Amino acid sequence: MKVKCYIQGIAAITPQHTFEGDIFAQPLESCSSNLLSVREPDYKAYIPANSLRRMSRMLKMGLTTAIKCLQDSGLGAPGAIVTGTGKGSLQDTERFLKDIRQYNERALNPTPFIQSTYNAVNGMIAVQQQCTTYNNTFVHRGFSFEHALLDSMLLLQEGTPHTLTGAFDEMTEEHCYIKSRIGMWKTEKVNSAQLYEHPSPGTIAGEGAVFFALSARATAQSYARIAGLQLFYKPQPGFLAAALPAFLQQQGLSPRDIDLVLTGRNADSNYAHFYQQLEAPLPGACQLPFKHLCGEYETAGAFATWLAAHILKAQQAPRQWFPMVPAFPERVERILLYNHFFGEQHVLMLLERAGAHGG
Amino acid sequence: MAERVFITGMGMITAIGDTVAANLHSLRQQQSGLGYTRYLDTIYREVLPVAEVKHDDEALREMAGVPGQPQYTRTTLLGLIAMQEAWQQAGINDPLREPAGFINASTVGGMCDTERVYFDLIDPSKDGPFLQYIDTLDCADSTQRIADRMGFTGYITTISTACSSSANAIMYGARLIKQGLQRRVVCGGTEALTAFTLNGFNSLKNIDKQPCRPFDQQRNGLNLGEGAAYLVLESETLARENGSTILAELSGYCNSNEAFHPTAPSPEGDGAFAAMQQALAMSGRSIADVQYVNVHGTATLNNDVSEGKALQRLFGREVPPFSSTKPFTGHALAAAGAIEAIYSVLAIRQGIIFPNLHFSEQMEELQIVPETRLLEQQPVRTVISNSFGFGGNNASLVISKYEG
Repeated sequence: MKVKCYIQGIAAITPQHTFEGDIFAQPLESCSSNLLSVREPDYKAYIPANSLRRMSRMLKMGLTTAIKCLQDSGLGAPGAIVTGTGKGSLQDTERFLKDIRQYNERALNPTPFIQSTYNAVNGMIAVQQQCTTYNNTFVHRGFSFEHALLDSMLLLQEGTPHTLTGAFDEMTEEHCYIKSRIGMWKTEKVNSAQLYEHPSPGTIAGEGAVFFALSARATAQSYARIAGLQLFYKPQPGFLAAALPAFLQQQGLSPRDIDLVLTGRNADSNYAHFYQQLEAPLPGACQLPFKHLCGEYETAGAFATWLAAHILKAQQAPRQWFPMVPAFPERVERILLYNHFFGEQHVLMLLERAGAHGG
Repeated sequence: MAERVFITGMGMITAIGDTVAANLHSLRQQQSGLGYTRYLDTIYREVLPVAEVKHDDEALREMAGVPGQPQYTRTTLLGLIAMQEAWQQAGINDPLREPAGFINASTVGGMCDTERVYFDLIDPSKDGPFLQYIDTLDCADSTQRIADRMGFTGYITTISTACSSSANAIMYGARLIKQGLQRRVVCGGTEALTAFTLNGFNSLKNIDKQPCRPFDQQRNGLNLGEGAAYLVLESETLARENGSTILAELSGYCNSNEAFHPTAPSPEGDGAFAAMQQALAMSGRSIADVQYVNVHGTATLNNDVSEGKALQRLFGREVPPFSSTKPFTGHALAAAGAIEAIYSVLAIRQGIIFPNLHFSEQMEELQIVPETRLLEQQPVRTVISNSFGFGGNNASLVISKYEG
């Protein structure tokens, strides 16, 4: 794709202090329950109280992040709203399943059903922004956010001036238990800050809502440019050895051009071999793992993209979040992101400092 | 210039037939698929009509070529059956020769199976083979099982925009082709009846206890249906290289949003109007070129008013014949857009306009009535197919006769 894709605004509600204030001064938050839950802001500043009462947690998180992102971008109503979510509003799905049973299918409150539909957040943002243009929601595990991003890049190429592109997922205790039954999480409890010291089967769960305002034109306010995106579905174990150099070559780059690697490493020994393959093609590159910050979930790639954008714009990392990383590069022109979701959906993304490379 | 996008294969299964040919036969016989459920566990078994596929899960497993494999949910099985027909018609033998993308649509994933075991899943004292359904709840499950079974190697993803899901899947696939990211993409959706969805629409008082009556003054809601439908889309270059049989051209499309209300369209049909108008503009056709509109026509009080008004706004006094085929298939939600896109191709290829069943009385808000007769030997060259949904998600497709 020829189009350039710049991040013009961002907002994130995550298990770290990411929603307000200076992220470079925020402490590292951790947990010992194997479930990193988000730090919810005071929604009243963004959503009127009477609407807030009827909304479930996922809807509040999604809508608030979207509003804040648009405020941050300084752009008007978006030309498109595109999101990804692995699970949608899980609490509403759970509640409607229980209501059906408890009330024996009679006199049910339709609200949880309405809010459980995967495009409910998108619909609400459209109403709030009076945005009558393109609106789409992807629901495909570790490709949910990435296809929302790809769709947005297609839209920019087609002439849409800017898009609101985001991802959101929540985790409930109930669902965490369900997924534990197929071994997704570690059986021993680990402190999330020390996640990488505990390689064993399974990882820790997480959640978050992250939105981006994307535009084909850079401004002084641009955070970063998304310069490349490649998706791999159920690739062979050793695929990165060839795929990574090919990806870089496509961008006219060599391994030396990558200053920082964001890796989705999550201490899950079942799939650690994929992340280990990053070492050989990128010898000596500084690697930043991020799952100790956000946990594992379908759209964790959006958190990593958010982090990369901040690092590229500020030319510094929130070092206090990375006690396990001994040294950071002086300058960061390009960040490579590699992430996968339980070995099935793999993503390579290249982010560049905005304006630094002829655009 | 961007590539044109052609439809080169189709496959489907609905309450009125297990194949495209069987669907066409039932449409011609004016045979509705509505009745009472045989397979759904609900207190509304004999109260709310549904359009159910007439096979139990075991029979579907046989048809799909995966007998005795319970990890395939009904959602996946319906999808596999439709997909196999679509591949066969498109003559896809070797998926490695031309990597194909698969853009699927789903509203509740494998809920049909999950809801039966959900309370065992959350009960630590319960153990058993039901644990293999854990992964089937989400929307990606059916997509990946179909993709793996068939051997897809291109872009794979799933879209969920309620009732417009598979129309948006078709649109996304077409855009991947136009921008040169893929030369062949199979798009559509699959939906199985669930107590979850039935109770959802019933709690909204959106389900009619009688067979649905689209665009009728006495209409009182929709009937749910199930099924799956897929269309093989190819770039013009590939279709020529490959010698593909071109069934029709996807000449225009538009996705728009009502930005009005979570579950109701705007009363004047703003979103429906915008979707149809812009899709038609993209196709390069004018309103005079449209011979048939396959309307969304759910028979809910709101939809038919706003969609009808949008038709009047777009076409003025010259509204072409239009009909809802939902009295045949029920509203198959995520599969509906693809089912009706295939019907639109059939309308063009067979020169046929389908009747809007169960209509008797004109709506007081509208000056137009749907086509109630089966019309044969019609010169149908351009069809608009509408899919509108919750969240204000509107999608219109323009499908045109292939004329070189």
